[in-house]
Amino acid sequence: MARSSPSPVRRLLWIALAALVVGLSVGGLLLSGYLIQLDQEIRNRFAGSRWALPAQVYAAAQDLYPGRRLKAASLGHELDRLGYRRTETLSGPGTYVAGKERVDIQIRAFEFWDGPQPEYKIAVKLDEGGIAEIHDLEADAPRDIVRLDPMLIGSIYPQSQTEDRVLVRLDEVPELLRKGLVAVEDRGFYEHFGISIRGILRAAFANMRAGKVVQGASTITQQLVKNFFLTSKRDFKRKAKEVLMALLLEAHYTKDEILEAYLNEIHLGQDGDRAVHGFGLGSRYYFNKPVSELRTHEIALMVGVAKGTSYYNPRRNPERAKTRRDLVLKKFFEEDLITEEEYTAAVAEPLGVVGGSGGSVERYPAFVDLVRRQLKGQYQDDDLTNEGLRIFTTLDPTTQEALERNLSAGIERLEKNRKLKAGTLQTAGVVTSVDGGEVLAIVGGREFRYAGFNRALDSRRSIGSLAKPFVYLAALASQPDRFNLHTIIDDEPIEMKLPNKQVWAPQNYDKKLHGPQPLYMALAQSYNLPTVRAGLEVGAAQVIKTMQAAGYSGQAQPVPSVFLGAVDIAPLEVAQMYGTLAAGGYQSRLSSIRSVTTKEGTPLDRFPIKVRQTLPEGPTYLINWALTKVVQIGTARAALSAVPPGSMLAGKTGTTDDLRDSWFAGFGADRVAVVWMGRDDYKPMGFTGSSGALVLWTSLMKDLEVRGLDMIPPGDVEDQLTDTFTGLRADQGCQSTILLPYLRGRAPVEFAPCATAAVHTPLDWLREIFE
Amino acid sequence: MTLRLGALVMLAALLGACASSTGTRESTWPNSPRSGDAGTTPAPSTPTAPATPEPPVPIEPVKPVAPDSPKTAEAISGQAVVSLMRKAADARSQGQLDLAASQLERAQRIEPRNYFVWSALAKVYLDQQQYDQAISVAGKSNSLARGNPYVEIENWKTIAKAMEARGDSIGALNAQGRVEEIERALGGG
Repeated sequence: MARSSPSPVRRLLWIALAALVVGLSVGGLLLSGYLIQLDQEIRNRFAGSRWALPAQVYAAAQDLYPGRRLKAASLGHELDRLGYRRTETLSGPGTYVAGKERVDIQIRAFEFWDGPQPEYKIAVKLDEGGIAEIHDLEADAPRDIVRLDPMLIGSIYPQSQTEDRVLVRLDEVPELLRKGLVAVEDRGFYEHFGISIRGILRAAFANMRAGKVVQGASTITQQLVKNFFLTSKRDFKRKAKEVLMALLLEAHYTKDEILEAYLNEIHLGQDGDRAVHGFGLGSRYYFNKPVSELRTHEIALMVGVAKGTSYYNPRRNPERAKTRRDLVLKKFFEEDLITEEEYTAAVAEPLGVVGGSGGSVERYPAFVDLVRRQLKGQYQDDDLTNEGLRIFTTLDPTTQEALERNLSAGIERLEKNRKLKAGTLQTAGVVTSVDGGEVLAIVGGREFRYAGFNRALDSRRSIGSLAKPFVYLAALASQPDRFNLHTIIDDEPIEMKLPNKQVWAPQNYDKKLHGPQPLYMALAQSYNLPTVRAGLEVGAAQVIKTMQAAGYSGQAQPVPSVFLGAVDIAPLEVAQMYGTLAAGGYQSRLSSIRSVTTKEGTPLDRFPIKVRQTLPEGPTYLINWALTKVVQIGTARAALSAVPPGSMLAGKTGTTDDLRDSWFAGFGADRVAVVWMGRDDYKPMGFTGSSGALVLWTSLMKDLEVRGLDMIPPGDVEDQLTDTFTGLRADQGCQSTILLPYLRGRAPVEFAPCATAAVHTPLDWLREIFE
Repeated sequence: MTLRLGALVMLAALLGACASSTGTRESTWPNSPRSGDAGTTPAPSTPTAPATPEPPVPIEPVKPVAPDSPKTAEAISGQAVVSLMRKAADARSQGQLDLAASQLERAQRIEPRNYFVWSALAKVYLDQQQYDQAISVAGKSNSLARGNPYVEIENWKTIAKAMEARGDSIGALNAQGRVEEIERALGGG
C-alpha cells in the first residue's frame, strides 16, 4: 500500500490532539504554579504566629497569708470570681471546699512574672481575725504565703481588628471537647485527607436541586481554610480554592496541628464590637475559667454555640441554646463519649453562663483604659495588640467591686432622696494604695461596665476646697516663722481688683463671718476667707508650686481664685496629690501596672515602686493632722462612722460654685480614695462635698474596712499642749487646751496666762488678788 | 475656794469679751465643741499600729538611742513578710535583683509601713545602681522608722554609698557622719 498523504480529517484530528496536549500542559503548569502559590500562602500563615494576639490584662494576684484580715465568705467570693468551683472534695485545679472555719483550695498552676507557680492543694484555716493558718495538704507543712492565680480582666486589641482570643494548646483542652467537637463538626476528620467526598456529593446534590449553593460540606480542615484564607463569599470558584488549600494543609500538617488551630480560630461569640475566638477565650467569656476546667455541659454548650453564635447566644436566647446544648449532649452520648449517667446529669444542669445577659470578659473598662494609656508610651501599638503580651496590673478586684457598688448605689440613693430624675448625676472614683502609689480601683462613670467617657481620667473639673490643704501647706512650709497650725487668721471680707478690672470678692460658703480662726480650724471648717488671706501672704505661684510638687500636672495661672480651687483636675490626679500627702510627702507616681511578660512568660518590663520626696515631711504631717480635724470636728464628720471609734481618717470636702461639683478626697493608713459627683452638663446639682461625695466616700471606706491613720510625728515635729484662747504654751492649769504638732523649735515657748507654770504675767497678778 | 471660782468666772468673762470683740459675728472659735480636745484628741504620739510598737523618739537635734527599738525585721513583721524578705535576701545574694525587688514589693503591699522592708528595698536599688531611688527609698524607711537606730544606720549606709556612687562626696560624707553618730550612740548606749 502506497503511503498516501493524510486525509484532511485526520490532519485536523492530529492538530486537535496536539493542541489538547499543549493546552493540558500549559494548564497543568498554570495549576502547578497556582498550587505552589497557595502552598506558600498556607505555609507562611502556619509557620509563624498564626494570629495577632491582643495583650492579656490581669488583675493583681491575691496573696493569702496568716494574719490577713479575710472572712471565709470573702475568700469564697474571691474564689468564685476567679471561676473556682465549689465542690464536696477537691477535684482538680480550680476547685475548693468551703467550710465555716476552713477552706480547702486546689490552686491552679500559673506562670507569674517572677517564675512559674505549680498547682497547690492548701487548707486555709480562718478565725475572727482572718486567716489563722495555711497548710499545704500535699507537703503536709505550714506555708507562710500562697498566691492565687490572677484574674484575666481584659485584653488590648486594636480598633480596626476586633478579633480577640486566648491561645490554648491541644493538650490543655479536655478530651471530651476534642472528641466532641470532631463528632459534631466532622465525624470523618481523622480519616479524610482534607475533604470528604461523601460530604461533597451530598452537598452537590442538594445544591443542584436548589439551583444555588445552599449547603456546604466543610470538613474541619476546610472550615479552618475558609476562616484563615478566604472570604465568606459562597461561589464555586472560591469553593475550589478551599478544596485545594484543604488538601495542601493536610499534606503539610498533622491532624492534631489542624485541630489545635481550629480550636483557636473558631468564632464563639460577639462581645460588643469584640469577636470572641477560640475555646481559650470562649471558656473565659462564657464560664470565667480556663478551658481545662470545663465540665461536660459547658463543653456541649460551646460546641453547640459554634454552629451559630448569634442564633444560639446563650445569654440572649437561653432556651434555644439549651435545646442545642442538649442535642449536642445526646450526640456525645450516642458516640459513647459520655456515659448515660453523665448525660443525664449534664442535661439537668443549667446553662451556667456567667455575667447575666450582658456578660463580658472586659469587666473593668475604665481600669483597662488606664493600663492602655500607661503602656502607650512604652510599647508600639502593634506589640500590644499582636504579641499576646501578658500585663500584670495593680487592680484589686475586691476594692474595685466595692468602689463600683458604693458609687452606683450611692448616687441612685441620693437621686431618690432629692427626688431627682434617675440618671441626672454622674460620678467617678479612684482608690490607690498609700505607700507605693498603686491604682487599686477606678470607676469612670455610673455605667461602669461600659467603656465610655472615663471621668476618672478625663473629666477635669474645678476642685474647689480640695485645694485648701495645699494653700496652707505652702504657708506652713514656706513661712514657718509666720505660720503654724494655731496661727490666727482673720475671717474678714476681702475685695480684690483683678487684672481684668473685675472685682473679686469671695465669700464663705455659708455667707457668714466666723471671727478670727486658728489655721487648722479654718481648714477643718473649710472657710474661704482665711484661706484666701493665707494664700495671698504666700502667693498663688507658691501654692501652685506646692500643688505641682504633690502631683498636679497642669499649669494653672497664678491668680487668687486658685486658693479656692478654681483649677480643673481629674479625679485620678487628685488621688495622686492626696496620695503624696498621705505618704508623708514621699510621692510614688501612680501606676496601674506591675510587670509585663511575653506570652511565654519571659519578663519584659517591671514597673517597680518608685519613691521621691516632693513635699517636706514636717509641714506635710501638720497638714495631715489638720485634715484629721476635718473629719473629727469639721465638714466631714460623717466620715468618722467609716472606722471604729478611736480610729482616725483624714480628708477634705470640695464644693464648687453653685454646687456644680461635689468632691471628697481622703485617706486612712493604707488607702487613698477620691470621689467626684456632678453632672456632665456642668449644671448645678444641689450637693455639697459633704452632702454628696462624702456620703459615697464614707460608705466606700466602711466597705473597704480601711485602717485608721497612725499619726506618728516625724523627727522634725514636736507636740505641744497649747492654750486654745491664746495659742500659747499650756499646761494642766489651762481649761481649754489642744495637743498640737509644731515644726521642731517652732512651738510657742511662752506660757499662756492660764498655765500654772506661767509666772508674773498680768493675769497672775489678777489671780493673786483674788486668792 | 469660792474666790478662786469667782476669779475663774471673771477670767472667762474677760477672755470671752476679748474673743467676741470682733463683733456680733457668729463664731465657732473659741466657743467650739473642741473645748475638750485635750482630753478627747487621741494623742498623735500614741501609735495604734502593731507594726510600730515603740514610742516615737525625737531624732533631732540630739539623737538619743532607743535601746528597745526592734533590731530585726522579725521583731515587727508577720511571718509572710519575714518569708518574703528571706526570699528577697536569697535572690539578692544570687544577683537576681529584679526578683529580690519584686518579693520586697510584695512584702510592702502586705505591710506598707514596715521600715525594714523599705530599707531592704533601698539596698536592692543600690545594687541595681539606681542611686536616686536608693536614696529616696532609704529616706522613706528612715521616715517610717521614727528613730529606730538599727534601721537608720543601715539606711544612712545605703545613702552614703549611693551618694558616693553618684559622685556627691559631700553628701556621702554627711551620710557617713550620720552612720558614725548612730554607731557612737549605740556603742555608748
